[in-house]
Amino acid sequence: MTVTGTRPLDKTRPAPVTATRRRRLTERQSKAFAFVVLTAPMLIGLGVFRYVAIGWSFLLSFSEARRTISLGNWVGFDNYRQLLSDERFRDSLTMIVLFTALIVPVTFAASLGLAVLVNRVKRGRAFFRTAFLLPAAVSYVAAAMIWKMALFSGVPSGLANTLGALFGVDPTPWIQTTSPPLYWIVLVTLRLWLQVGLYMILFIAGLQAIPPHLYEAAALDGAGPWRTFRSVTFPMLRSTSVAILLLMLIAALQAFDEFYAIFSTGASLGSEPVRTPLMHLYGVALQDQDYGVGSAGAFLLTLLIVLVTLLQGRILGFSRAGDKD
Amino acid sequence: MSARSALSRRGFLGTSLLFVAGSAVACSSNPQGTAAAKGAKVTLTQWYHQYGEEGTQAAVKRYAEEYTKANPDVAVNVVWGADTSQYETKLNAALLGADAPDIFELGDFRAEMARKGQLEPLDDIYGSAKDGFNQADLDYLTVDGKLYGMKTIDDVMVLYYRKSLLKKAGVTPPTTFAELVDTAKELTTGGVKGLFIGNDGIGDSPYLLAWSQGKDLIDGDKVVYADAAKSIGGLRDLHSDKSVLLGFTTDWYDAGAFTQSAAAMQWCGLWALPTIEKALGDDFGVAPWPAYDKNGRPVARLGGWTQAVNAKSKHKDEAKKYLQWLWIKQTDIQIDWAVKYGFHVPPQTEVAARTPELSKGAAKDAVAIGTKNGVSFPAEWTQAMQAGFIAAAADIAKGAAPEKTLEKAQAKAQSDLDKQMG
Amino acid sequence: MNRYRGTVAASIATYVVLCLLAVVFLIPFYVLLRNAFMTTPEVTATDWHWLPSALNWNNFTALFDNPERPFGRSLVNSLLIAVITAPVSTLLASMAGYALARIHVPGRAVVLSLIVGTLMIPQAVTFLPTFVVVGSMGGVNTMWGLIAPGLFNAFAVVLFRSFYASFPAEIEEAGRLDGLSYLGVYGRIILPNSVTMIASLGALSFIEAWNSFLWPLMIGQDPSSWTVQIALSSFLTSQTVNLPELFAGTAVAILPLVVMFLVAQRHIVQGIAMSGLKS
Repeated sequence: MTVTGTRPLDKTRPAPVTATRRRRLTERQSKAFAFVVLTAPMLIGLGVFRYVAIGWSFLLSFSEARRTISLGNWVGFDNYRQLLSDERFRDSLTMIVLFTALIVPVTFAASLGLAVLVNRVKRGRAFFRTAFLLPAAVSYVAAAMIWKMALFSGVPSGLANTLGALFGVDPTPWIQTTSPPLYWIVLVTLRLWLQVGLYMILFIAGLQAIPPHLYEAAALDGAGPWRTFRSVTFPMLRSTSVAILLLMLIAALQAFDEFYAIFSTGASLGSEPVRTPLMHLYGVALQDQDYGVGSAGAFLLTLLIVLVTLLQGRILGFSRAGDKD
Repeated sequence: MSARSALSRRGFLGTSLLFVAGSAVACSSNPQGTAAAKGAKVTLTQWYHQYGEEGTQAAVKRYAEEYTKANPDVAVNVVWGADTSQYETKLNAALLGADAPDIFELGDFRAEMARKGQLEPLDDIYGSAKDGFNQADLDYLTVDGKLYGMKTIDDVMVLYYRKSLLKKAGVTPPTTFAELVDTAKELTTGGVKGLFIGNDGIGDSPYLLAWSQGKDLIDGDKVVYADAAKSIGGLRDLHSDKSVLLGFTTDWYDAGAFTQSAAAMQWCGLWALPTIEKALGDDFGVAPWPAYDKNGRPVARLGGWTQAVNAKSKHKDEAKKYLQWLWIKQTDIQIDWAVKYGFHVPPQTEVAARTPELSKGAAKDAVAIGTKNGVSFPAEWTQAMQAGFIAAAADIAKGAAPEKTLEKAQAKAQSDLDKQMG
Repeated sequence: MNRYRGTVAASIATYVVLCLLAVVFLIPFYVLLRNAFMTTPEVTATDWHWLPSALNWNNFTALFDNPERPFGRSLVNSLLIAVITAPVSTLLASMAGYALARIHVPGRAVVLSLIVGTLMIPQAVTFLPTFVVVGSMGGVNTMWGLIAPGLFNAFAVVLFRSFYASFPAEIEEAGRLDGLSYLGVYGRIILPNSVTMIASLGALSFIEAWNSFLWPLMIGQDPSSWTVQIALSSFLTSQTVNLPELFAGTAVAILPLVVMFLVAQRHIVQGIAMSGLKS
């Protein structure tokens, strides 16, 4: 027994009583009791810190609420209408769908590719794993600072421009060049650098769960590396892939940090060549203090996320694979 | 075996949790419990944003302590922090909650805050001293006939130019926009760009262009900036020559690009003048943003910081008295604050006139430019209007049709303004 | 023979590609360290330097000497927040994840969707009401106000749920036969056997707590309750920017996480491997 039992403070501990009572509880009751005890802290916490706010925001989305978050000035669907008629917000929705359609496959391929490569080597695997995972520890703000001020700055001393100079290319303002849209190189490399490592680890986990005899069989059949990948590795990674895709989709649709950190000039947003829906809403709610319209936007974006994940589930059969019973 | 090690591991986890929780409780501080608060009946909380200059935080704390020395009943708890853009977010959040400051700084004064009842009118503490303040500041802070804030410093933003580089290129400081475009082009050689107005190539230039054409952003209850389509359309010319510095390490409000000779001309604030002087000696001059054409006028932006009293404060009277003491009566403090940590202009004209640092050299020129050509943002201007306006200008710089783009943004801003005026 | 030579060539190629990629991935760290030792003119210089002219350690000492910017204090605050958040949030997520995976009661699907639902609603916009709720409970400028909202991590619940779903049922049954209750099975059998998973998700939660920005900005108003990310952002002021100190501060802020990764990376990998991500 632990020391705590002897503490005078521990009077409330009804050890013997529970033991006898618990035996008298039916199986169903004791099951329910355990379920409640285990999930209650999480549910109460999410209730207080998330659901109250979500409910409040939902009501705000039907209120006129500038510089206040008190309810009462009901305006029906005006906030939703205002946002949907705002060309800049609609553009941001289109942009984020395109961005997601592009970045998710790229991140997916890059992290799976890295995982396969790292998993193939025998010596130095830990080194490579660490090298690729290390960026996951860096915050978006810090990473954006390095990207903006040192790697892709517009002056000749930027790393990209220094490398360019070796090939006789003039210094280029990477973030500010919109035709061709070079800023995408900055955004995508930053996102890949920060995220690929974590997804790579998830894929490595999936790879290591593949029974080796499948590979041996493929080798006996005379399959080359590409065919082995297509006929063994990829199908066996299916459930891992589906889960990772879901995480990537949600993360891409809620993209904010790197866009904001790369384009923010210290003043209001405005001159950035692309904006994500969350950037737009950050501007509306936290900068311009229009909580009604900001909240409406949050729910429109939620709707988009739900739709996209449902679509993904429909295509890949995620929802059916999810619950076994 | 495994059960025992698991138990001990759990025991370890429990102990370390207890330890950490204990130290967390010990560490969570009570910000009101500063030394100054002892013995005082009232503690005022005063917020400042993060100033970059060394010594600023110590200075404002010293001012607060001096006040408590003179008025032992009132202590002031100075809360410092967050850069300009995040400061406003943080302040607005705090104003919604129960822990709002009694006195706070505002970068851009927002008339909407006064109309929504968030600010306390300050006419009574201004009293007769009102006439001594810079009239442009008073106009800026007046909403529906009442004064809702007190300027603590005026910031003048001007065009800095390198005398030696202009001489080498055989050009003089530009007096029209066409000249600005040409001069920037002439000055662009090798690693040096002609002009730096911001890392995004836009900065505050859309405002300056509109004003320099003689146009306003808001006139009464109408948003009118689309009238300035001609001058804002000039952004395209400015960018097509590739004579504008883009994507420098620091942005326009830092003198880095200018002192590092990355740009021969830079739009920056008077605050950076000591740094520039230290780096370049007297090899620089200041000028206003040039008039757009013969019918326009040269302009400079007038910014600065304002202090206001929270209308929901429990100690409004004490807060107002403190502001009156600090920013009206204590002229020595005002001079110290204005010029000891980067250069700013004291808003009381008589105080500004006897500030030695501002009565010589380029600083004197900049102050004169501010007095003669300074323009403030309209108080009805909001962050959403700013974002829409800058976005339109950025599109125009990339080649969008100026009239159509500005009119679209203006219509959106107009509906925001209508909402605000309620 | 041919096949053997092919394998060798392939493995050399793999190493070459991996080494190149590793260099690319480590370059930003190198640039960060280089800038941290530079002077302001060197950082803003218009030509490239591989190394700083001298190791300016005073960028680092200045970080801790400046009374106007409580950098040391902010490191302590961040450490406390992360050290409390990581184990508590992971434990809470493990409890909920286990119940959702293995205790079959009616209404389980509802509870699951309530938890997963919070993942889909972007947090940025619900921050304000949360701020007012926590503020009204007296959470402004307090440790608990900084910590509490971050303790409830739906993402970790989802991962734990899939981890426990693939747990062998026999162990649980054996425990039940020994007379343990459902809670006893969780506390005495399941929890001790999920240490690796807890370590890996705890590491992720540690990183998240360490790097969070918007919430500490609003709730930790007083400099005495700043976190390291807030202290870092205070370098980017609207008047003058001290870049070398900013880079030095960023390097210092990343260091604890890098050390943690180097120490714990085997556990992290194994832990995530065990989650299997079945669903």
